[in-house]
Amino acid sequence: MSILAYNGAAVIAMKGKECVAIAADRRFGIQAQTVNTDFQKIFEMGPRVYIGLPGLATDVQTVAQRLQFKLNLYELRENRRIKPKTFMSMVSNLLYERRFGPYFVEPVIAGLDPKTNEPFVASMDLIGCPMVTNDFVVSGTCSEQMYGMCESLWEPDMEPDDLFETISQALLNALDRDAVSGWGAVVYVIEKDKVTRKELKTRMD
Amino acid sequence: MFLTRSEYDRGVNTFSPEGRLFQVEYAIEAIKLGSTAIGIQTNEGVVLAVEKRVTSPLIEPSSIEKILEVDNHIGCAMSGLIADSRTLIDKARVEAQNHWFTFNEKMSVESVTQAVSNIALQFGDDDADPGVMSRPFGVALLFAGIDDKGPQLYHIDPSGTFIQYDAKAIGSGSEGAQQALQEVYHKSITLKEACKASLTILKQVMEEKLNSTNVEMATVTPEKMFHVCTKEELEEVIKDI
Amino acid sequence: MDILQINQTSDYKKAGPLQAHFNPYSYNGGTVLAIAGENFSVIASDTRLSEGFSIHTRENPKTYKLTDTTVLGACGFHGDVLTLTKVLDARLKIYEQDHHKQMTTGAVAAMLSTMLYHRRFFPYYVYNIVAGLDDEGKGCVYSFDPVGSYEREAYRAGGSASAMLQPLLDNQIGFKNQQGVTRIPLSREKAVNLVKDVFISAAERDIYTGDSILINVITKDGVTDERFPLRRD
Repeated sequence: MSILAYNGAAVIAMKGKECVAIAADRRFGIQAQTVNTDFQKIFEMGPRVYIGLPGLATDVQTVAQRLQFKLNLYELRENRRIKPKTFMSMVSNLLYERRFGPYFVEPVIAGLDPKTNEPFVASMDLIGCPMVTNDFVVSGTCSEQMYGMCESLWEPDMEPDDLFETISQALLNALDRDAVSGWGAVVYVIEKDKVTRKELKTRMD
Repeated sequence: MFLTRSEYDRGVNTFSPEGRLFQVEYAIEAIKLGSTAIGIQTNEGVVLAVEKRVTSPLIEPSSIEKILEVDNHIGCAMSGLIADSRTLIDKARVEAQNHWFTFNEKMSVESVTQAVSNIALQFGDDDADPGVMSRPFGVALLFAGIDDKGPQLYHIDPSGTFIQYDAKAIGSGSEGAQQALQEVYHKSITLKEACKASLTILKQVMEEKLNSTNVEMATVTPEKMFHVCTKEELEEVIKDI
Repeated sequence: MDILQINQTSDYKKAGPLQAHFNPYSYNGGTVLAIAGENFSVIASDTRLSEGFSIHTRENPKTYKLTDTTVLGACGFHGDVLTLTKVLDARLKIYEQDHHKQMTTGAVAAMLSTMLYHRRFFPYYVYNIVAGLDDEGKGCVYSFDPVGSYEREAYRAGGSASAMLQPLLDNQIGFKNQQGVTRIPLSREKAVNLVKDVFISAAERDIYTGDSILINVITKDGVTDERFPLRRD
């Protein structure tokens, strides 16, 4: 079995009209055994920049901390907030440094540009190959299921409420067909003047 | 007459010049020595009734079993060499279960009868499979059951021929009983009437006096499926005769 | 590509005999989907037959009409699909001659299960879904794994894009993760439209699904065919 699927996870991000959303499940398990149901997989990397890290739980936390470290240095040196696109390069760089002994995470990045408020979503493989899209990105153990949901549910220019419903339905129904992810979910809807965090009730099995 | 036959009596599968298989015909004759068995099909279900020959007071009557369950929805009554029926009933039971296993549905009465008839003529092979007999079976069977087509009664004889009947009698008293059945049977006969008729006719053709220990009766109905009548149920019918 | 796997690196080290492996299976993709309605059932499949990165044909539907009220959807290894459907047709004919009636959908499903299980240790590499009408005329769907485990369900996707289709069916037909919805019975038109929608989605992401779909609707009056184009890249 792949190390990427050792703990189980699902992360998804979607673009809307002048907003983006990112969502993840909350399970931490060791193969089939669920250990915790409030595990953090989405990390705030700035006021409107978020990263979701599905993969091996130990690497999730290490990568999140090393990114925070790098981000602090960036902000001190540059004296400004990072753009989602720049942040993506930073993540990509960090991962590619470990090209032959990688961190087992496949990140999802979502955010709004600090100046233009342009929505941005991107995903990456475990050695940092970035993929920027115009609609949605998915990552984790039930990515196939999420792709199926997103391809049917997503439409361009959704308002924040619509976007929330769409990303939630896409994640929830995908989770329920995956044994190693689920057990609660969390959704962030990022708009230019506010970020809404909602915890979703899911079936707990 | 006996002399002309004898030449063709040796091989069980040898035709006589007139085109007859004597051993099979003798086997059919053997049925007529057996105890009488009656089956009647009605719209509400089928009834089977047989006479038990309790030839000694030291016999335990319940150990004589001439009506057997094939599956939940099919019963079988027999007359002739009862020991021969074991192989046939076994075949019927295995086929019925096999059908259920493969198709998850009840095997039809006709198909069960067909399956049994297939082995009725498998005798006489020198190098036959184990269990196959060297002579024809000496038993006739009445299959009673319910399937998609409703209640049905089938008769099968040692030649493997099987025919569906509204009412049929086999065994020593079959001639008289069949005659009586023809008189009493009508298309709208109820199951209760059929039960009574079958015992009445048995009573007429039996040598002993009919009572609740020397007859056996069973019904196959949509409600209870195959059901062997208890002593009390038998007495309930007998008291009206 | 790896039908003949010969260890080349050690060629010059050992002069002994070489072992060549034969792989009896290949994977030809394809997706099937079935939905049971009140008095009908819908079963659909894509028509692409492929292997690796190449497409054998764009015109190979994976649904097979078995009886007047039963249709089988089968995909996986096409060689096994051909053999399985051939044996099934033969068994169907024998049943019809033995018992003077057509097999019911439930009986077909039960028989298929035993047929698959009899090959427990050299299985047919086939994902099967049987759709039809039950004894009461209601739509029914049975889904199978390759070794005969089976179950009656209201809807099921099978084959290469099954993971993409199934959650959407859960959501749209099973009303999963929805609160306060009125569960209206699925109409024939809605079912067929949903089938088209989900196959369009699958064809976007799954390289083994595409070209077109064949939709069979089974009612007491028989089986109808409908073709619908998908992307061909």
